[in-house]
Amino acid sequence: MRSLMIVCVLYPRFELLAALGDRGALLSEPAALAPEAGREQVVGEVSAPAEAFGVVRGMRLGEAMSRCPGLRLVPPDPEGVRSLWNTVLDRLEATGAEVESDRAGAAFFESGGLHGIHGGDLAGVLAAARRALGPGARLGAAPCRFAAHAAALQARARRRPGSAAAGAPLRGTVVIADEAARDFLAPLPVALLRTRPELQALPEVFERLGIRTLGEVAALPSRAMAERFGHPGLLALDLARGRDTPLAPRRPPEPVVERLDLPEAASGQQLERALELLVARVLARRERRGRGLRGLAVSARFVAGGTWRTTVTLRHASADPERIRLALGPRLAELPAPAESLGLEVEAFGPPAQDQGRLLDEAAAVRRARLGEAVRQARQAAGAEAALKVLDVDPGSRIPERRAVLAPFPDAPAP
Amino acid sequence: MTPSGSRRLGAPKPATVEADSRGTPAAVGAVDVDTVREEWVVEDRWWTSRPLRRRYFELVLIDGRNVVVFRDLVAGGWYVQRA
Repeated sequence: MRSLMIVCVLYPRFELLAALGDRGALLSEPAALAPEAGREQVVGEVSAPAEAFGVVRGMRLGEAMSRCPGLRLVPPDPEGVRSLWNTVLDRLEATGAEVESDRAGAAFFESGGLHGIHGGDLAGVLAAARRALGPGARLGAAPCRFAAHAAALQARARRRPGSAAAGAPLRGTVVIADEAARDFLAPLPVALLRTRPELQALPEVFERLGIRTLGEVAALPSRAMAERFGHPGLLALDLARGRDTPLAPRRPPEPVVERLDLPEAASGQQLERALELLVARVLARRERRGRGLRGLAVSARFVAGGTWRTTVTLRHASADPERIRLALGPRLAELPAPAESLGLEVEAFGPPAQDQGRLLDEAAAVRRARLGEAVRQARQAAGAEAALKVLDVDPGSRIPERRAVLAPFPDAPAP
Repeated sequence: MTPSGSRRLGAPKPATVEADSRGTPAAVGAVDVDTVREEWVVEDRWWTSRPLRRRYFELVLIDGRNVVVFRDLVAGGWYVQRA
């Protein structure tokens, strides 16, 4: 039986690189992504020279600047990052891989199903991924996602002499055999657990308790871990022992994007008009095929450079332009600076029209009939005032007794 | 106007209030007032033969209750009401 192997594709500092564009030379200087406009004032990804000053991602801007006064702040570009990362994922998917990716810069796929089309073994799959991505990506392969990520972190474009990855089939690639995963992880620091968002706080606690390596975590009894740390503890234990949850590959997106260049730096009512137009355009797109919209993303490019993006999930999928506009409108107020262009992208479609709820809901009619019968029975037993309801008459009145009255509850409530 | 077959919510009820020389409540029933949180006047229907003028007080009593009372400035008398 062929064992499961997960491949991790890693681009360190992807968001910073994408935001730098053709100013990549800045990576050799202390640089960091500036805080996103209107969000918490913490720095994003940082360059290696900035790390040498003790600046790390998520550090408050003031502290980062005091640790490294020469720090260059790069305006974040969430739109650019998303677009570039989608290109990477598209290339990977073109090799036949089903790709999981929760954040830009790291993607995972299972190699098993691809052996047949790429030379019959893992090395063929890795070579195909390398051809698709070019030399900049780090590749790691291991029996689980966490170990594959750790392997990719150790991969270097230039292999170090005498490195543990001496058996790597390709440059910039580290492969961990099925039975070696636990041994490979054992000497690595517990800080590696931070790569999982749900375990952000755990490494610090481990370190305070004197537990410094994943091997020491793996040796702890599961009952004690469950009692002391709950679910995160058990997850950390599984990861340290070379086990992980299954991949959840993304569904290939159907890109439906509309963008409008604004003639001059727009805000307020002009933006609302632009949004109205974008909603109409998106609803008119043929790719919609009669489906309602479930998830939408509003994005903007600022006059002063940089981009902004926010997502909105509708409670009910809808194709009603007024309803969509009402849901998206308040987000425009969050725009932190004048925009030179506004975009609207469909992130998820709802069900097709024939899957929507029926206009005549029999269950509701049955419920109303039962409620009416219950009211009649209560009146029969306890008198005419047994079932009353509060009716707002003049809720804003300054005279309290004019605001509401108690009215008889109707025998057959209105639908 | 009250719709037929219905009754008002929050109708005022007569209350026994002791007031000081400035007309500010000092006790409601047998319970002393601890704090006057707010005070306001409501005037309405002044254009009719039955005008409404009330001086409201939101009070905290020494037993911890928060009550709203008003003095009817037309007919006199104190009332307690859920405001």
